Amino acid sequence: MINTVRIIVVLAIYAFFTSCTDVIDVEVSEAAPRLVIEASLNWEKGTAGNTQSVKLSTSTPYFNNTISNIVTGALVTVTDVTNGTDFIFTDQNNGVYTTSNFIPVVNHAYTLEVIYDGDTYIAEESLRSVVDIEDVYQTIEKGFDDEALEVNIDFNDPADEENYYFIKIEAQDNLLPVLFSLSDEFTNGNLTSVYYERLKDTSIHREKFIAGDSVAIEFYGVSEQYYNYVGLLIDQYNSVGNPFSSTPVPLKGNCINITDPENYAFGYFRLTQVVKKSYTFE
Amino acid sequence: MKKLVLLFILFTAVLTAQENYTVSGIVKEASNGETAFGASVFLKGTTIGSLTNDYGFFSITAPKGTYTMIVSYMGFAEKSLVIVLDKDQTVDFEITEESTQLDEVVITAGESERVNIKTPQMSVSLLKISTIKKIPVVLGEVDVVKSIQMLPGVTNNGEASSGFNVRGGAVDQNLVLLDEAIIYNTSHLLGFFSIFNADAIKDVKLYKGGIPASYGGRVSSVLDVRQKDGNSKDFQLTGGIGVISSRLAVEGPVFNDKGSFLVAGRTSYAHLFLKAAGEKNSAKFYDLNLKTNYEINKSNKLYLSGYFGRDDFNLDGGFDSSYGNLSGNLRWNHIFNDRLFSNVSLIYSKYDYDLLLDAFEFEWVASIYNYNIKYDLNYYVSDAFKLDFGTNAIYYDFDPGAISPTTETSPINPLQLEHKKAFETGLYVNAEHKLTDKLTAQYGLRYSSFTRLGEQSIVNYENDQPVVYNNELGIYQAGTAIGETVYEEREEIETFSNLEPRVSLSYQLNDDSSVKAGYSRTAQYIHLLSNTQSVTPLDVWTPSGKFIKPQLSDQYAVGYFRNFKNKTYSLEVEAYYKTVENRIDYIDGSNLIGQNTIETEILNGESRAYGLEILLRKSKGDFTGWLGYTISQSEQRTLGGKAGGPGINGGNWYKSAHDRTHDLSLTVSYKVSEKWTFGANAIFQTGRPVTYPNGQYEYEGVSIASYGERNLDRLPAYHRLDLSATFVPNQNQNKRWTGEWVFGIYNVYNQKNAASISFGQNRETGANEATRTSIFGIVPSISYNFKF
Repeated sequence: MINTVRIIVVLAIYAFFTSCTDVIDVEVSEAAPRLVIEASLNWEKGTAGNTQSVKLSTSTPYFNNTISNIVTGALVTVTDVTNGTDFIFTDQNNGVYTTSNFIPVVNHAYTLEVIYDGDTYIAEESLRSVVDIEDVYQTIEKGFDDEALEVNIDFNDPADEENYYFIKIEAQDNLLPVLFSLSDEFTNGNLTSVYYERLKDTSIHREKFIAGDSVAIEFYGVSEQYYNYVGLLIDQYNSVGNPFSSTPVPLKGNCINITDPENYAFGYFRLTQVVKKSYTFE
Repeated sequence: MKKLVLLFILFTAVLTAQENYTVSGIVKEASNGETAFGASVFLKGTTIGSLTNDYGFFSITAPKGTYTMIVSYMGFAEKSLVIVLDKDQTVDFEITEESTQLDEVVITAGESERVNIKTPQMSVSLLKISTIKKIPVVLGEVDVVKSIQMLPGVTNNGEASSGFNVRGGAVDQNLVLLDEAIIYNTSHLLGFFSIFNADAIKDVKLYKGGIPASYGGRVSSVLDVRQKDGNSKDFQLTGGIGVISSRLAVEGPVFNDKGSFLVAGRTSYAHLFLKAAGEKNSAKFYDLNLKTNYEINKSNKLYLSGYFGRDDFNLDGGFDSSYGNLSGNLRWNHIFNDRLFSNVSLIYSKYDYDLLLDAFEFEWVASIYNYNIKYDLNYYVSDAFKLDFGTNAIYYDFDPGAISPTTETSPINPLQLEHKKAFETGLYVNAEHKLTDKLTAQYGLRYSSFTRLGEQSIVNYENDQPVVYNNELGIYQAGTAIGETVYEEREEIETFSNLEPRVSLSYQLNDDSSVKAGYSRTAQYIHLLSNTQSVTPLDVWTPSGKFIKPQLSDQYAVGYFRNFKNKTYSLEVEAYYKTVENRIDYIDGSNLIGQNTIETEILNGESRAYGLEILLRKSKGDFTGWLGYTISQSEQRTLGGKAGGPGINGGNWYKSAHDRTHDLSLTVSYKVSEKWTFGANAIFQTGRPVTYPNGQYEYEGVSIASYGERNLDRLPAYHRLDLSATFVPNQNQNKRWTGEWVFGIYNVYNQKNAASISFGQNRETGANEATRTSIFGIVPSISYNFKF
């Protein structure tokens, strides 16, 4: 959260000045493609959570029109370490590997094994729970613009443990989702409120929220390690136009190539409970 | 101590045997009584002379006889006086500014210039405020920090970055002093302007290397800024009205003409117009400089100086940020006798920054307090030997931050990060020794020590590793805390001490040129932690301790210095090589805000820099200015060390953020007539090293950039041209009120220099693009300066 604060602070200060931004052509180097493992096993609270999928792809040059190239022919298995159960994910031939008999258990440790192109990748994580969302509502006076609507999410942070959260918001008219991460470092045990305000930005034809707009919210409880990973990912992702961003560094997830350690995979293997809510502005 | 006493006795004995006498005194400007630093006072026809010290004091010892004393100072007419040196005596001088003429003024090459070429002091630039005022700057605001960047070896991170970099060093490696008080943040509005109000400043000394033993605490440079004492002859009002801010300074004699005072203020007001226009956001700054002095008698003088400055940002919707410096200095000059001058100073300085975020319902306050006592002595033993010695003690109190909720319903829990306290001392001796007619040496030793004090609890880590390399994941993580050690108030946590030798030599080739060489070792005990590409007000100063070691630097320099055409032109060529041990860098993904255990985010590394600087300067005539060029390299390496693992960037050397291969600056001023003067600046610099993406992939529905080795790419080269014109309408010398109009155009050809280039998905099309952020395009300005 503090990183978000810092980003807001410096962007706000920046907003004052006569700085201008423009898009330019830049030459960048091209690294060899690397495997990307997007293994996000999300267990929606109130459901059985048996259907899960893992996405595999490879990276591409930065300015390519295709963000990733799909990977087929890999072998994907998730094992529940506590009871030794294996869950095989079946190749759907479109980069997605699925299973419909996954058994999610809170706090159980799981390992992921991906075999692709002669290399074996392993990752370990445990399944994290998440509290329910207390309330979702709208406000107008928060944020930077007194006339822009905000959607608010309230939840009660458990006092007896360290909690980390990942929130994804998809709003209609937003091409891309908005990603947040936060920890309870400064708010442990308290009723915590998070909001998202969409500011008007004529350069990208974006408007403020108006009555009738809807947003889809996904609220995940994650591990401290994932929180560190995704926090850095979001920081780098939001660095556009920010001269105070941190020096970009390679993002290392938890998927290790045991055959050839130099050839680690992008992405992350995480298991989380999620609360999904949607809200329509009035 | 015994050895020192012995040395005195020896020298005094030697001198009396020769029947030498001493003449000493103070050199002041006739128009306003300001003391002149660095004026050359010498005996015509001999090689005997001295330079005035920071307070205008000089002392010359020579054999009995009759001499013509000459006082020579750039920009002033030479003054001479015949004296009969048959006893120790005091002679004060008042010098007058050179009258302005269209023809070039020719000055006979005197012994005065020899003293300058002769001094072994190298890597230093002295800039008088009159020179700084001639350099055109953005929005018409004369700026000390921007002016020094026109000198070779000095750069910065762009128009909106705070601080400056010397010889590839970091911003926190510069000791910035305003009347001896330490300044922690030299900028207003994040680097757009500096905190130095030109109306209150007398002169500025920048040591890029060869730092004299009397200074300590930072490894790259010393920027010593001195305020004016205040006109002791007459009341004077100086000021200016500009586009962004205005200034007013009042000075005059006080205490029945036994002293003078100066009060100068400056405030920005652009925010008022914005408010009137309905804009709800504002950014403003203001400063206040004051100084007063009182001459008790010929041998004792008291000075009191102070500075208060503040920056305030306010964003409607509950965002408020403010930061600023506050400092004060009480000084007592005491002249023991004709040869021994002393100064004792009591200094207080405070730097704080506040952040109020209504949106998140919390307030953050952090500060640094300094209490400092200094005692400096100059002993002019003989014509061939001068001794400076003294001591300095500083007590630091760092408050890294207190977070508190601002409303009852705020989810924020109050948190106070522990205060960090420390005590730094320095003891130095420096000798300037004329070995032969051509060879002069300066050698000194500084002994510095730094003790970290409680009250504090320091975390203990398993295997004494606050940071550990996780081999499996390939990242650095915080070590395991296994308990803490509680230190009582003022209990010693850790002590460091270092011997810092500073040596330089100059050899005079002929009347006009010399070669110099020097070596210096410096230690730095406090550090500014910043893991962003530019320094922000949220960055934290932290003292050395159990986990952070002091930075230690060795610098070697050689140079060739030459004056041509009666000292109209001067050429300085200097090559340097500098290494720094214990330069901190941050593990990937480090988080520094609100971090009580910084040691879990850092690794100790080393840095090295080397380069060649060339400065060609024309200081006389209607056409003056300089051309500076530096070719250099600055890089660092951070190995894993105790934490294990390869380190940052795989343990390989990488370009530091301050590396600029080529840096070319030209600044000229041309006085066409009594009414019109034109000025221009031209700058060209290699772009800053940055890390560009080398690929992309999809995750959570967005395109994520992947990055490779650190700082392999560069921003595009930075270049611009500024022009200015100064118009003085009233030429009537008898009129009390004088004014001038300054018209300026910054960045005449509207070059969009990249302050940063960032990469991301276009929010509308989803395609990846590179976005350049530039700060100033073409900016015209008008300002009016007056003096009454």
